[in-house]
Parts: sequence; structure tokens; C-alpha cells
Amino acid sequence: MEFNDVLAVVLFGGFILLLFTGFPIAWLLGGFSLIVAGMAIYVDLNMQDWLVEAFPNTWLDISWRYMSAIVRNIWSQAMANEVLVALPMFIFMGYLLDRSGIAEALMKSFARVFGPLRGGYAITVIMIGILLAASTGVVGASVVLLALLGLPVMLNNRYHPTVAVGTVTAVGTLGILIPPSIMLVLMADRLAISPGGLFMGALLPGLMLASLYVLYIVALGFFRPSAVPAPVDPEPITPRVIVQLLLAVLPPFGLIFAVLGTIFFGIATPTEAAGVGALGAGLLALANGKLSFRVLKEVSEATTRSTAFILAIVVGAVAFAHVLRGLEGDLLIRNSLLALDLGPTGTLIVILLIVFLLGFVLDWIQIVLVILPLAGALIGNPSQPMSGMWMELGFEGPEQALIWFTLLFAIVLQTSFLTPPVGFALFYVKGVAPPGVTLMHIYKGVIPFILLQGLAVVIVFFWRDLVLWLPGLAPGG
Amino acid sequence: MSNDTPTAPLGEAGAQARLPHTWLSKRIDGLLDVVGSLASWLWIAVVAAIVINVVYRYILRNNIGQLEELQWHLYATAFLIGLAYTVVHDEHVRVDVIYGSRSLRTKAWVDFLGILIFALPFALFVLYYAWPFVVASYVSGERSVNPSGLPYRFLIKGMLVLGFGLLVLAFVSRLTRTTALLFGFPKPIRAER
Amino acid sequence: DAQDRIRWRVPIAFPSALPALGDNMPWVAEQLAAATDGRIEFRVVEPGEMVPALELSEAVGQGQIQAGYNWLGYDQGRIPASPLFSAVPFGMEPWEYIAWWKHGGGQTLAEEIYGAINVMPLFCGITGPETAGWFKAPIESVEDLRGLRIRFAGLGGQVIASLGASVSLIPGGEIFQSLERGVIDGAEFALPIVDQRLGFHRVAPYNLFPGWHQPFTAFHFIVNLDTWNALSSADQALIRLACQAGVMNNLADSEGLQGEVIAGFPDIGVTAGVLPEEVLRELQAATEIVLAEQAAADADFARVFESQREFSAMYRYWKELGYLPRDF
Ligand code: NA
Ligand code: NA
Repeated sequence: MEFNDVLAVVLFGGFILLLFTGFPIAWLLGGFSLIVAGMAIYVDLNMQDWLVEAFPNTWLDISWRYMSAIVRNIWSQAMANEVLVALPMFIFMGYLLDRSGIAEALMKSFARVFGPLRGGYAITVIMIGILLAASTGVVGASVVLLALLGLPVMLNNRYHPTVAVGTVTAVGTLGILIPPSIMLVLMADRLAISPGGLFMGALLPGLMLASLYVLYIVALGFFRPSAVPAPVDPEPITPRVIVQLLLAVLPPFGLIFAVLGTIFFGIATPTEAAGVGALGAGLLALANGKLSFRVLKEVSEATTRSTAFILAIVVGAVAFAHVLRGLEGDLLIRNSLLALDLGPTGTLIVILLIVFLLGFVLDWIQIVLVILPLAGALIGNPSQPMSGMWMELGFEGPEQALIWFTLLFAIVLQTSFLTPPVGFALFYVKGVAPPGVTLMHIYKGVIPFILLQGLAVVIVFFWRDLVLWLPGLAPGG
Repeated sequence: MSNDTPTAPLGEAGAQARLPHTWLSKRIDGLLDVVGSLASWLWIAVVAAIVINVVYRYILRNNIGQLEELQWHLYATAFLIGLAYTVVHDEHVRVDVIYGSRSLRTKAWVDFLGILIFALPFALFVLYYAWPFVVASYVSGERSVNPSGLPYRFLIKGMLVLGFGLLVLAFVSRLTRTTALLFGFPKPIRAER
Repeated sequence: DAQDRIRWRVPIAFPSALPALGDNMPWVAEQLAAATDGRIEFRVVEPGEMVPALELSEAVGQGQIQAGYNWLGYDQGRIPASPLFSAVPFGMEPWEYIAWWKHGGGQTLAEEIYGAINVMPLFCGITGPETAGWFKAPIESVEDLRGLRIRFAGLGGQVIASLGASVSLIPGGEIFQSLERGVIDGAEFALPIVDQRLGFHRVAPYNLFPGWHQPFTAFHFIVNLDTWNALSSADQALIRLACQAGVMNNLADSEGLQGEVIAGFPDIGVTAGVLPEEVLRELQAATEIVLAEQAAADADFARVFESQREFSAMYRYWKELGYLPRDF
């Protein structure tokens, strides 16, 4: 180990320990990164003799000038980022739907359809989650919306809090697997493969994962009915109920389909659809007589706070990643990996394990930037088809191998949103959940879903056609 | 279990024992509250910018490039100002596994040390380097790379200085509230917000 | 010994996995390491990992990073003249640009203009024309451009905007999705071999030629000026040599790899279309206006533009006589 590696380990380990003090994550990420960088700079400037003696091969290339580029990265990653505009727009839309009473009406009517079924609300949340996932690729947007729509209703119907928050949190992250997805777009960009092929490859695994969630809720209904109770006095399904249902469902469904439709038919980008949806939610609230100056003010202020705490963590993570990259923590990972010398399948499994572990602390963007190109280079490059381990893995060509592995990578990476301590989906839910919901509820609630994702990884690992069948059908595939 | 789970809207932190205020924190928090509340109206401006652009494009088949960029300009302004506003409301995410069950005094120690060691240095660091970043943008007359984009980049880059400046104020304010509880200095005003 | 070691991190503007566009700097770094037995070590850093791709030049100038490999047109917002060094509509052909850089004052002008932000620009890569874009329907007249929603970069974007197209600059990675979702009707990005890798052909099957908007695409290795001045003249010469080799390597790749891609178009349902001459003439007229406007607005732009014009006027004597006409 070189001295920079030691510092990279200190950066990781120290941060995890400090998290448990309860000081806000965003400022810990930022402040502790500066301290570790300061240590590196101090040793480089004042302890050269010791450094050369103790670590003759260490190359510390980190200076305050290098650190000052953090400002530049905050600018480009958090501010000048049109994709992120969708986040406050969906939050704003969600709060408005919540205040207008429409969300609750929607959920209630749905539960009538599922009637006496235990877990009906949770299954409703999963269904709406799939619709949302297919309409937005923006991480967090659907988590927030689902939490606002689904959490109050489930909690009021005496669902166990861990099940309720676990469901909205996990289902909300489906949006990054079911296309469109900004995560898949970034991955395709890094590997220089077609996002279209990845999108098509992701469709079936995404739906499979959603089905696993539904099966889990149904199973809970059998084995732990108290966690997902049926509605207290389910009405019999009469024509009257069906008409009521239609009346309740039409406005919000119209809204969701308007949001979906504007994206599908190319009228708007996801960001724009979110903005149009926010307007639609406002109009629905107005129609319900729930829109007032006061409501608008409160909704806007709540949007500011929820957006700010999420972006604060993005800002802190930018600093953390800059220091980690400066210490070449990524090279540490790569070199350790190559030193293991495990053969193609073993190497891929270890990479996925590393992704899972890194997902506890880093956010998905950093992991995609740092680890994915490394894995891609091992598997192969469509421009140089004679090298890489895609042949040993038994694929027709490097592109197929890359699509397959990238999707495994994506499913594992989806867990990074759910794994404590740094899990963005957890934070999003915490930010909009009713006060009685603690981070501990959320941590516990996502565990079964993380296990389901592990199962999905295993299935995709062995059943490659699940990924490769659809891209293979496409013209020019 | 879930009976004790109230459903308050809008994710406001629940009522809990709070740090005392000080003469300084009263003034700073009052200011940040007003600024944050005003900045919140920018979300409605973002909605308007989006809707106008979508309508304009699909009726007149044309883009207003400036309006597209204006969206993230407004978004960035609102969230940067919101950073300090969110400190005032103590809604930045904490891992509350251990912290949640501690006494107010222990929590005050965590915040006192955390602000001094991590939060304040980080905010000052960004503020210190944001200034030349903005000046360079002003001096070069930087405008959008997009030909149909907005000029005067230094204005939006300047929001970094504004946002982190307010953040420093918010941390100082909260710092005095922790010292008021821990050391009685500055004089605590009242344990209510 | 360790004193003479040069170890820099070199962020690049395009992912290294993209042929011709992103893999030239890694090649240059490899050659330098091989030639010096590892004494000069450039560690290539992927775009956005350390500094944003659009901020590379300023970051190098301020010493946040020692060097980078950039498409200078990204500096258009700060340095209006920068697109002239990187891609000009109806501009020079690759070898003509190389000649202008050496004989027409290009290098001096670039060093002067980038010297002002403390950057040493070394000409380090060039490719031939890019495609004129991928479209959902063929372009047969200038009328077809009116109201077209299109992703287009740089000065070329300004030109087709002036003909009534609605131009946006969507980042490379998001072009596919925007085409697929119908947010745009067409997109220009890079060379056929690059664009095909990004899957544009699946959603916009008309690939148009010729690349009127950038007959050449030049790339530069940029070094912090203080860092550069502190190098020994031997090391400066080594790096210059490696970059000259980079220019040839890049041109060889970009010229050598496109034919096969285009030959394969019919198999994957792509129609390679050619813009009618009448459309090209109108685009050229619009280009004249846009370039004149830019020159009137910025003194450096005017200076570089004038230098390119003068050189091309002189080069024309040779070009028209020495070469066979294109249709031979
Ligand atoms: Na999605
Ligand atoms: Na995590």
C-alpha cells in the first residue's frame, strides 16, 4: 500500500464512523474530505523526507489548487444541470397532489379494486411505481412522488411502517432500471455503447424485479398479515363503487398519463413533463377548491427544503469524490482486483461485490465514473473486437457482453440507493415522510427488497437471454 | 405501532426539544427565513418557464433557448439559497440511529463540534474559491456555449457566492445557539423557536 | 532520475472508448511513456471525473490541473475565437489546417490568445469532416430546415439556426434519448464510426453528408503555461513531437475507419444521403453572414478569421491546380 492508498482508506473509514455522530451527512462529506486532503497536502509539503523513506513509490498529487476545482465541479454537476431541474418539479407536483387530497382519493379507489386483498395498497404503490418508472429516468423523482402519494395512506391503514417505507423506497428506484433512465444513459456514454440497446435490455429485468416485489407483498399477506392489513371495512363492488372509482381515478390518472404521454410522444423532455405535471397538479387542486396563496407558499417552501437537502448531499459528494480521485482510490481498487487474478467469471463477480460495497458510501454517479470503465475495459471494446474476455464468457460479440454486464452492474447499483448509511432513496423518503418515520424504519424496511435485488442479479447472471433477447430483436441490433 | 405515526403534511420536522435562540441567531434566522421563503417562489417561475417553452415549441414549432437555460438558472438559485434556509429549519439529513435518542445537550455538542470542524470550514472553503471563479467569468465576459443561450454567466455563477455566504451565516447562527446552551454564551433567549 | 520525472493527470474532453474522438490522447500518452521508459507519465482521466469537460481550458489555466486534451470550441462562451481553432463551417480541410497552423500563423495566434488565460495549446489531433447529422427524414431543400428541431454544435449550429432551424446543444450522451423520444428531429455529433456506436441509426436512419459544418475537427493538448515554461527544452521538444505524431495517428484513424462503417449502412437500414448543392450554397451564404457577425463582435475572432481567409486565398492557387477534381 502506498501512502495515498492509506489516506483513501482513512477517507472511507473515517466518514463511515463520523456518520454515526448524527451530524448532517452533507457537511460531513464536504468537511471531512477537506481534512483528509489537508493531511495529504501537509505531508507532501512538510514531511517529504519521511514520505520518501516510508513510501518510496508514493506519488501525492493533491494541492489546494487541485482542491479548488471542487467549486467548478459543484457548478457543473449540481448547478448547470438541466436534468436535475426535474427533481424539484416532481417534488412540487407531489406536494401539490398531496395537499389537494387527490393522492389519497387515488390510493383509496385503487384499494377498492384490490378489495379484500391484503397488501392492496402496497401493490397499488408498485403499479403506480412502474408507471412512474416508465415515464421518468430521474432518480429520486418517483421515490418522492410515491412517498407522498402512498405513505400516508398505508400508514393510516395500519401497515407496518417498515413495510410501508420499504415499499415506496424500493419501488421508487425502479425508475433507474426501467427505461428511460439517466443512469443507463450515463453508463452507455462511459462505455460508448448505444443507450438504445441498454434500454431494451433493461426492460425485462426491470419488469421481473417489479414482479418479485409484488410476489413479496403477496407472500407477506399470507405469512405476516398484520404487516399489510386489508382495508378495515371493504365495500362490496357495486356499479356505484365503480362509478365512484372512475370519478376519483380519472383526474390523477389523467395527470399521470399526461406526464407520461408528453414524454412518450415527444412533446416534452422528462424535465418539462415534470413541470407540466406540476401545473396539472395545481389545476387539479384548484378544481378541488384546495388551491390558495397559503397552500402555494407552503408547498413552495417545502419544495425548497427537500430540494436543498438533497442537493447539499450532492455538493458534499462532489467534494468527497474529488479527494478520492485525487488520492487515486480508483487505482487502488483496480490494482487490488487485478492482483486477485480470478479468471473472467470470478473477476466479474468480485466487481459486482465491490460495486455493492461501494454503494454503501458512494453515490451511483461516482461509482459509474470510477468502476464501470474499468470493468468495460476488461470485458471488451467493440472497436477492438479481438481483445477482452467476452469470448471466454461465451458471447457473440463484445457489445452483447457489455450490455449484459452493464445491466448486472445497474441492478447492483440500484441497491446503492437503498443501502445505508448513504442511500439517496432513503434520504428522499426521509425528507418527505411523516415525522413519525425514522431513518431506522427506512433502513430496516429496505432489507427485504435488497435481498430481492440480489435474487434478480443471480437470475440475470445465469439467464442472459432475459437481457439480450429484446436488443437482439431490434433492427441493426 | 402505526397508531402513533401522525401524518403531518410537508415533511416539517416534528416538535422536539430545541436549542435556545440568541440575539444574533434571532436576527440571522429571521433574515434567512425571509430570503428562503421569497426564493421558494422561484419554483413557480420554473414551472412557468417550462410551460411557456413547451407551449411555444408545440404551437409555433420553435425553441426559446434562453428560456430553457433560464430553467436551470432559477433552479440553481433556489436550491443554493435553500441550503441556508434548510439549516435554519434543521432539515439536513442526519443518520439518527444513535443521535435520535440522545439528550439535547449531547446533540448540541455534536452540532457545536460538527459546525466548527466540518461545516463551517467547508462553507468558507467553497466561498473562498467561488469568488475568483465568479470574477474570472465576469472578466472574460463569459456567456453560454449554446449560441441561443443566456449571456452574463457571472450572475448565475455568483449565486454560489450568495448561497454559500448565507450558509456561513446560517452555521454561525446555529453555532451561537449551541454555545448558548452549552456555555451560556451568548445569553440564551428562550427554548422556543 | 526522480527529479526529471513528469507525472501529470490529463483529463480528456471525450470518453476514451470513442474511436478517433476519445482514444487519441491515450495513444499519445502511451507513445511518450514508451519513448521515455516511463519517465513522462500522463495519466488520462475520463471526462467529468476531475474537472468538467466544458471547463477544461480555464481549469488548466488556473493550474487546478496541469494539462488536458480539449476540443477548443468548448471555450466559445469565454473565447469567441476558439471555434476557429477547432471547427469552421465551409472551412479548411485537414491538411490545409495543418498547413495554416505551421505556415499561416495559426500556431502563433493560438498561443497568443490562449496565453492570455495562461494556457499553452499544442496541436495534437485532427480528424476529417464529420457527418452533417442524423435525421428522421431526408433534407431536400432549405425549406426542410425551417422549424426543424435539431441538436447542432458550434458555429454550424448558429448557421442553421439563422436558416430557421430550432437548435439546441444536448450533451452527447443524451442525444439518442432525445431522438428516440422525438424531442429533436435530427442531430449532429461526430464521425460515422462514433455516431453509430451511440446508436443514432436506430432512431434517425438518414445520415446526411457532406460535413459542411466542420470539414476539419482539430484537438489540442493544453498545458498550464507556468508548468510548460518550467519544463526543460528537451522535454518540451519530446511532448511537441508526440503531439505531431498524435495529429498523424488521429487523421489516419479517422480517415481509415469510416469507409467500412458506411459500406455497412444498407445492412442496418441506414440511408446515406447527400445534401443537394442548392442547400449547400444557401448554407454557405448563411455561414458568410454568421462569420462576419462574429468577426464584427470580437477583435480576436476577426484576427484569426482574417488570417485563415488570407491563407486559404493563397492556398487556393495550389489546391485548384495541383489536385485532381473531386469527381475523378
Ligand atoms: Na425510468
Ligand atoms: Na448506499
